[in-house]
Amino acid sequence: MYAYDTFDRNIIDARVAEFRDQVERRMKGELTEEEFRPLRLMNGLYLQLHAYMLRVAVPYGTMSSKQMHRLADIATKYDKGYGHFTTRQNIQYNWPKLVETPDILTELAEVEMHAHQTSGNCIRNTTTDQFAGATRDEVEDPRPYAELIRQWSTFHPEFSFLPRKFKIAITGAGQDRAAVKWHDIGLILRKNDAGETGFEVIVGGGMGRTPVIGKTIREFLPEADLLSYLEAILRVYNEQGRRDNKYKARIKILVEALGAEEYARLTEAEWQKIKDQHIDVPAEEVARIKAFFTPPPLPVLSDDVPAVDEFANQNFIFKTWLDNNTNPHKVLGHVNVTISLKPHDGIPGDATDEQMHLVADLAEKYSQSEIRVSHEQNLILPHVAKQDLVEIWKILDANGLGSANVGLLTDMIVCPGMDYCALANARSIPIGQAIADRFDDIRRLQDIGPLKLKISGCINSCGHHHAGHIGILGVDRRGEENYQISLGGSGAEDATKAALLGPGFDEHGIVDAVEKVVAVYLGEREEGEEFLATYRRIGAAPFKEAVYDAD
Amino acid sequence: MAKKIKGPQLIIANRLDDGRVVFMTPDGNWTADVARAAVADTPEGVEELEAKASISEKNNLVVDPQAVPAEDQNGAFPAHMKQAMQAKGPSVRPDLGYQVSHTWETNASEGN
Repeated sequence: MYAYDTFDRNIIDARVAEFRDQVERRMKGELTEEEFRPLRLMNGLYLQLHAYMLRVAVPYGTMSSKQMHRLADIATKYDKGYGHFTTRQNIQYNWPKLVETPDILTELAEVEMHAHQTSGNCIRNTTTDQFAGATRDEVEDPRPYAELIRQWSTFHPEFSFLPRKFKIAITGAGQDRAAVKWHDIGLILRKNDAGETGFEVIVGGGMGRTPVIGKTIREFLPEADLLSYLEAILRVYNEQGRRDNKYKARIKILVEALGAEEYARLTEAEWQKIKDQHIDVPAEEVARIKAFFTPPPLPVLSDDVPAVDEFANQNFIFKTWLDNNTNPHKVLGHVNVTISLKPHDGIPGDATDEQMHLVADLAEKYSQSEIRVSHEQNLILPHVAKQDLVEIWKILDANGLGSANVGLLTDMIVCPGMDYCALANARSIPIGQAIADRFDDIRRLQDIGPLKLKISGCINSCGHHHAGHIGILGVDRRGEENYQISLGGSGAEDATKAALLGPGFDEHGIVDAVEKVVAVYLGEREEGEEFLATYRRIGAAPFKEAVYDAD
Repeated sequence: MAKKIKGPQLIIANRLDDGRVVFMTPDGNWTADVARAAVADTPEGVEELEAKASISEKNNLVVDPQAVPAEDQNGAFPAHMKQAMQAKGPSVRPDLGYQVSHTWETNASEGN
């Protein structure tokens, strides 16, 4: 795990001191709200529906148990005893006081955390695969490159006031768990024919009111050129991106307007001008950063652990958890464990302070003191020995964290919606909870199989509904909450945009609609076929007929 | 805050120091208890409340005060969904927010 050097520490400490001064000046009236707003946003502090909201970065979703303990302590001391893990691999606190925020940032800085790049029109916290560096299907660990991007982009003077926020995601695995094609820039680690490491570069993806899947503008960018090439992409966007209309300001609009080929040409032209200006760090520095991400020295063990199999044969829930919540590790005899933050009656992504402490304790004992956050709002213990799985599950289950639903219908992404968010037009969480109620039977869920359901409370799409196999969008229809359903989206390597099925429903009708969609799938699927494959094979018509049948 | 006034209105804002939702009382102070909010039935009355709110904003007590439609629910209450949510707290956490206690924090600072 990356550790701050003196420069990192000094700059973060200086920024906390600066923000403390800004808060004091705001309280004294020396700064107006208009003047203060961009300053607080630069420190991750929003003013939301009920109170301030502080969004804290978990760079590339990796943190230590010490950091998780600190996040829990902050939830206890400065908030209402919980935190909310987000699709940007961040954590949000919903009730901090403005006057205490500098203290929170001080406590975060003590454990090498901050709230920069979680807000504002800057390059946001780079996200990646939650199993990075630990999964069996990986070309290379993407986190050193994400850290390199973090260092390059944090406080980058040229890119601190972009036309709009800017999101970069990177994956090193064959299976895209970082939704890279839905980002402003998506990077996929590749090896060329010579075995050299590089990146496929994708630009212009994004959700919101204009969902667009990113386009590849370079099949292979050598790793040594990463930062200068990114700088060229950003420079073209910064110069030509629209600033007259915030709804048309994202890079996806520019790429659509120019065409991907033209965007690639402009980027290459810019890159030729700057690539020899020492923007890219020397190989020694890349090696220094990579050294922080050296895999832990795990013993090679047998993948066959009879005691675990025996327990699984006696306990269906544990067997289901084993099937759904574990991912093969690079080192034999180990797995990555996903802790579902989607318990029945829970709020997707929420964890109490006690649960955060518990996960940190488990990480210390079982996963090399390391924890990950996924963009699907779950927590991960990487590097777990298979022989420890029964014990871990028992502890999780006793503490409300044993849900075996990872990858299944109730493992939903759900935005905070109008329960918390000032931008939302409808509530999302109660819809997610009502659907979870309807599909409470784990045997039924298991039979339905992998199905990604995603819910947003407004067109900004924080709940990724465009990428949902089943997507739900809450809208305000003449003062009433109304929920539209769309089908066929994907956030994976086969990224597709979900298509609206038809008119929306009230909060009860949408649950019935989901049930009908699932019923059509179950009736139509072929042997071993998952929901998305069935939808792609039979199209929307049968679903539409079932959902909107007058009976 | 100038806008077309339709029907009874109350003033909602966030307190500057902690961000909590507050409502203007008839005497120009701020309260977390929506039932104590001042309701103006006329455009002139709304303008008067807005003027007081503007002073509070300038005095750094509240952020973004705005007049919003009100209705009577055994006391003043916001008529629209989003402000109703602000008055109640998150619907999915009945253990939090104003539904638990209107005085869960110190009442807003006096003065206008």
